[in-house]
Amino acid sequence: MTVQTSPPATHRRRRLPRELPRFLLLSVLSVLFLAPLYWMLSTSLKFEADAIASPVQWWPRNPTLDNYKEVLTSPDGNILRWTWNSLFVAFTFTIGHVLLCALTAYPLARMNFPGRNAWFWFILSSLMIPGIVTLIPHYIMMLNFNWINSYHALIWPGIAGVFGVFLLRQFFIAIPRELEEAARLDGANSFQILWRIILPLSVPALITLAVFSFMGSWNNFLWPLFTVTEVDKMTLPVGITTFSQRYVTEYGKLMAATTLAAVPVLIAYLIAQRYLEAGLSTTGLKE
Amino acid sequence: MTITQAPGKTTTTQAPAPRPRVNLEPYLYLLPHALLFFVFTVYPVGYGIYIATHRWDLLAETQAFVGSEYFRNLFTPGTPQFEFFWRTLINTAFFTVVTVPLLVASSLGLAVLLHRPIFGRTFFRAVFFMPGILTVSVMGILWRWMFDNQIGLVNAARELMTGAGPIPWLSTEGLAWIPIVVGTVWWTVGFNMTLYLAALSNVSQSLYEAASLDGATSGQQFRYITWPMLGPITLFVTVTTALASFQLFGQSLVITNGGPSRSTQSVTQYITEEAFTNSQYSSAAAMGFVFGLFMLVLTAAQFRIMARDVQAVEQK
Repeated sequence: MTVQTSPPATHRRRRLPRELPRFLLLSVLSVLFLAPLYWMLSTSLKFEADAIASPVQWWPRNPTLDNYKEVLTSPDGNILRWTWNSLFVAFTFTIGHVLLCALTAYPLARMNFPGRNAWFWFILSSLMIPGIVTLIPHYIMMLNFNWINSYHALIWPGIAGVFGVFLLRQFFIAIPRELEEAARLDGANSFQILWRIILPLSVPALITLAVFSFMGSWNNFLWPLFTVTEVDKMTLPVGITTFSQRYVTEYGKLMAATTLAAVPVLIAYLIAQRYLEAGLSTTGLKE
Repeated sequence: MTITQAPGKTTTTQAPAPRPRVNLEPYLYLLPHALLFFVFTVYPVGYGIYIATHRWDLLAETQAFVGSEYFRNLFTPGTPQFEFFWRTLINTAFFTVVTVPLLVASSLGLAVLLHRPIFGRTFFRAVFFMPGILTVSVMGILWRWMFDNQIGLVNAARELMTGAGPIPWLSTEGLAWIPIVVGTVWWTVGFNMTLYLAALSNVSQSLYEAASLDGATSGQQFRYITWPMLGPITLFVTVTTALASFQLFGQSLVITNGGPSRSTQSVTQYITEEAFTNSQYSSAAAMGFVFGLFMLVLTAAQFRIMARDVQAVEQK
């Protein structure tokens, strides 16, 4: 699970002219990749007439924040409220998920007991059950539990995930046994070993799992779309689509709403970029 | 439906220690996860079969047993379920067949372009990765606007370059796939690119040096070194991308709402329509199982890749 981020720099700066075509190609591709985001921002700053003007206004001629003001104070739904819902659900889910996975991965990786391998393969084989199979039963269960339109529906069904157990077990196994034995001689019990030795040594794996769980919950769309129908209980991805149905022809407002939904995530990404990409490249991949 | 795999040839390094009595400790650690796992993973599969074999009516006290009726509907020409289920399944398969090669090739291409040091490398990596962190609904709304029939940026750029009039992308059968596919590539290419970059940095530099001494062109180096060395990661990317594409839902829902006339509707969207719009929960559950069988093939492939990984760890 080693991460090598950059290859040895055998090509020196002197080679730059030879690298020029590659650089230009990357620049053109970057412009294409950024164009939609630029267009989103640009449209969000235009009055409606300018947003749909023909020929298009590449640059907002009369920039306005009206769209943002309107979207933020709209009686049809509250972006800040949806963001809070998404944050609450994602944080709660992530903490619970990582905790449950760590508790399960620990004995599976570090203890010897009857049924260990059988249980590991049993839960791992559940990864073969496609999510669509449990969609309807989960929905009916939520109805029976009276959990429709509650955070419970968004947090509980996926919390006992199995991929996280797999990831952490792989990581826990690699921790040297000597550390554990030394602690045991000092009188540490198994929980102290988990808490003081295994978990601190597994921070990269725990962060990777946490980032993935958080993003998974934050981006979840299908499930909350059908289990949450009250506007105030919606998460951000779902709430934004209700705007899209309401403002179907008002692109200025729609783009202001999507910008508001996108910008915090983009900023978070730019801050966490290194960890995120390092985590991504260590996940489940081996030569 | 759960498949238990035999423990197989897993090697345990410790000899079974003779213990006076069963140590309960490991089981206590397993308990919280196991309880939730049973309630939300094992039980729903059985419950799903129960729902699919009964005529589910949310208002009724008891649900009437109908056996395999809902499954048979799916294989009986003439029923709406037959027509729309297979039609949307073919739509989804079409989307998968188009996007997987596109995504594998473009993410590999970007990774090769960005692998060797170049001015602005970190910036470029961020640019290609960034779209992937948007949620599917934001991405969908954005691409619907980009391909707007009248005043979208794509039509505007096309007019600027060729002087041609607007194309009604979103309301033309066949063409409506283009915004969905383009949006999906834009949205997900960065993830796979990052996986490829990690794999490329594991390819030994000395191979390339030896090859250039032998006079291999960069094309030959790619053909004979890079591509074979990337075999495992390409397999992984292909399978995970196919799995993701097969579960197409948000992109087509938000960009085209499945239209025009269901031509871009995904099978997942149809299943949810059957359940949540038509209140045909049993029928939807049956479709979930049948579609799940198709996905099982892909999931099994991914599972095998992961299982190989487990064995690699255990043999250390």
